[in-house]
Amino acid sequence: MSKNFSLMMAGVGGQGLVLLSNIIGTAGAIAGIRVITGEQHGLSQRSGSIQVHLRVGPDVRSPLIPVGSADAILSLEALETLRYIEYLKDGGVAVINKRVMHPVGETGELVNDKTRQYMGLEQVVERVGQVTNHVLTLDALEVARRAGNALTENVALLGAISVLEEFPVPPEPLKGAVARMVPKKAVEVNLKAFRLGAEAARDRFCKELACRGD
Amino acid sequence: MSNEDITSKGPGRAFMMANEAMVRGALEADVKLFAAYPGSPTSEILDAFAETGRQMDLVAEVSSNEKVALETAAGAAMAGLRSMTSMKSVGMNVACDSYFSLAYTGVKGGMVIAMADDPHAHSSQSEQDGRFFGPAAYVPMLEPSDPQEAKDMVKAAFDLSERHGVQVLVRTVTRVNHQSGIVELGELGRTPFKKVPWPHEPTRFITVADRARAFKAGMLGRTAALEKEFESSPFNRIRKDVVPGGKRFEGTGIVASSAGYNYAVEACRLMGLDLPILKLGTTFPLPRRLIFGFIEGLRRVIVVEELSPYLEQNIRALAKDVNPKLEIAGKGPGLFSEALEYNPNIVATVLGKVLGLPTPVDYAGVLERAKRLKEGLPNRPPTFCPGCPHRGTIHALRKALRGVKHVLATDIGCYSMAPLEPLRYGDTLLSMGASLGVAEGLRRSVEEPVVAMIGDSTFLHAGIPGLVNAVHQRADFKLVLLDNAVTAMTGQQHNPASPHEEDDAAQQRIDLDALVKGLGVADVTVIDPYQIKDTPGQIKEALARPGVGVIISRRDCALYGDRNKRRKGEKIVPNKVDKQVCKRAYTCVRDFHCPSISLDADRQASIDPALCDGCMKCAKLCPLGAIQSTQGSMAGRQEGSKGTGQQGTTGGA
Repeated sequence: MSKNFSLMMAGVGGQGLVLLSNIIGTAGAIAGIRVITGEQHGLSQRSGSIQVHLRVGPDVRSPLIPVGSADAILSLEALETLRYIEYLKDGGVAVINKRVMHPVGETGELVNDKTRQYMGLEQVVERVGQVTNHVLTLDALEVARRAGNALTENVALLGAISVLEEFPVPPEPLKGAVARMVPKKAVEVNLKAFRLGAEAARDRFCKELACRGD
Repeated sequence: MSNEDITSKGPGRAFMMANEAMVRGALEADVKLFAAYPGSPTSEILDAFAETGRQMDLVAEVSSNEKVALETAAGAAMAGLRSMTSMKSVGMNVACDSYFSLAYTGVKGGMVIAMADDPHAHSSQSEQDGRFFGPAAYVPMLEPSDPQEAKDMVKAAFDLSERHGVQVLVRTVTRVNHQSGIVELGELGRTPFKKVPWPHEPTRFITVADRARAFKAGMLGRTAALEKEFESSPFNRIRKDVVPGGKRFEGTGIVASSAGYNYAVEACRLMGLDLPILKLGTTFPLPRRLIFGFIEGLRRVIVVEELSPYLEQNIRALAKDVNPKLEIAGKGPGLFSEALEYNPNIVATVLGKVLGLPTPVDYAGVLERAKRLKEGLPNRPPTFCPGCPHRGTIHALRKALRGVKHVLATDIGCYSMAPLEPLRYGDTLLSMGASLGVAEGLRRSVEEPVVAMIGDSTFLHAGIPGLVNAVHQRADFKLVLLDNAVTAMTGQQHNPASPHEEDDAAQQRIDLDALVKGLGVADVTVIDPYQIKDTPGQIKEALARPGVGVIISRRDCALYGDRNKRRKGEKIVPNKVDKQVCKRAYTCVRDFHCPSISLDADRQASIDPALCDGCMKCAKLCPLGAIQSTQGSMAGRQEGSKGTGQQGTTGGA
């Protein structure tokens, strides 16, 4: 593989974003594909904004993606897509979970101002649409629940993005890494979430973007 | 993140974080003792060592602070064992008293100090540049730029330390520590742990007066020998292959180190520039001849380093002798900043400015558009978790002091978030343990009553002398001691006052109440922050009493408590709002701000069962009793339990 690929990942503390990036990295190690990540730890308790820069390819050196250069952004929470929108290149792919988690400060402002409304998915999609035509939304929570555990939302989204031909780490090593990285008793439900996420994505994504064969 | 890779027999390859790779490097070097106090961005080093210590024949201690940790490692290294400690930048400030003296006495066994700076102050109170700890103490310093180098440098540092008889500093920045990549692992040749006889050489490890003067002379010779060795170190290299066939600028080169090197390489690729790069991995003592050789024939050098102009000033001084006309592009207006962290586009922009080239992407335009797209996007700073006891303590403290102007001196821990959005509560915040010293100065100086606030781990780390002083000075401020059982912020590590678990029966638990009383505090009140109806009154009474008083607010960190519940198979039962009863009083929102509570389409409070911890604080606050437990009405969370461990498995809080 000669092309480099940069994926910006965004979410809320507690959604399992760092685990997700470890799964992709471990899949890279399994498949012999060079992956580096720049992660955020430290102050990232539950409920704070979290970002992971993930880079694949022989020439990547910086764990941080240059702005305007990410091939794709994957957000576990819709609002967080906008928070890191500067990284997405024009015409890049945005895979957005439909889930919106309202920050405590925003709720605080709503109770003080009765006319104020929450920012929602529609606004996010409209604004991300100013950067790219490839905005793909998925109700990953619904997929995860169908798989049998709402906490597999992150792996459902991984399944979803794995169908894209452009995504450089193939599904088999990804599944292998999922099986290695999640707790033993949760392997089955996670692999199911991966599969259901991929299925849901095929219905939604493959009309407009090149997908891998089944 | 699996510890299996760190402890695997090797050789092999694994995807790991630089923090884990450093642990691997130390294990490959047969390290025997590790001691540290947690601190971002180094906490995962301690976590991985703690885990390894349960599987392997080595000592791994969580110390009460960084100075104790460094001294513990020093004791082992004086005896001849290989030892290691890790700390964040500001932890080095705590440890540096002994660190400087240890550079005098030196060590017998190899000793490595992994120290991490935090450009951008992601999780620190400052952007302190710790590279000056190298030259200031005559201690050799290595700077890795990626996980592979982190492993290799730590491994090599033990050997270097032993041969030169001095501790070695391995200095990183957040974007190195928290970088993951594929690491080639060496063989793990562990030998059994064995105590050694003390060498009994009089004054060998005594530094005072003429002993100190004699040591100093030795240190100068040692530094010269180190410099000579570093001239041919594989950790320094001149790269001329960054962009084969790219645009060349004769007479222009780059000097870079640490994270700056990563960005410099990537910026050259973004710009299609074939510039030679001198990559420095040994940054004290600097290999001056190597640098001479690189800059001698250049017309212009671009120095890529975050924070202070450490390399730049050294190069400037060296250039004076060999190439006085050399143009040096480093820090300065329109060039690099001494503030914040860099990234590839920042470095590409500076390269473009210096060389008169456009960047491949209009970075300023992209940032401008992003600013517009983010208008109205609510901030999401880290905040107290659902079920966090601090939320209850702070709510009660504010209620007890409602209408009373007062000053709150706070400290380092999760509760450092209280002065931020949305609570905005707290007046001073300096460093570990500082709340008590600052409160003493405040109570002498301000008209209002003074309250200090500190966590259990921070109190044991550096707060005790401040409380001793307050008692001695007959101060009249009150200390709120937040006892949540663990060092929560850095990933719920144990501290000396943590409850015992099966595997730490060898340690004695410190009794905080007895400790505080033993220091001479007569007025000690213990409250439960979950009892949010009772606590404001209890605090009010305590505040009204004269003299130094300590209010201990005791309740397990919610994340730690949840982990214990999961282990015991207990369910976490979330609360719900009764829509018939809720009259939109918003008592559960204002001054409370739990992430599990938001408003539904009818603007009534609504609780997310996937987030709620079932702590019942909000239920007790609601004047109408609209919030109840779902106990009985449903079996815990929809998913049954949080048993998959899918969330927060990294523990990197």
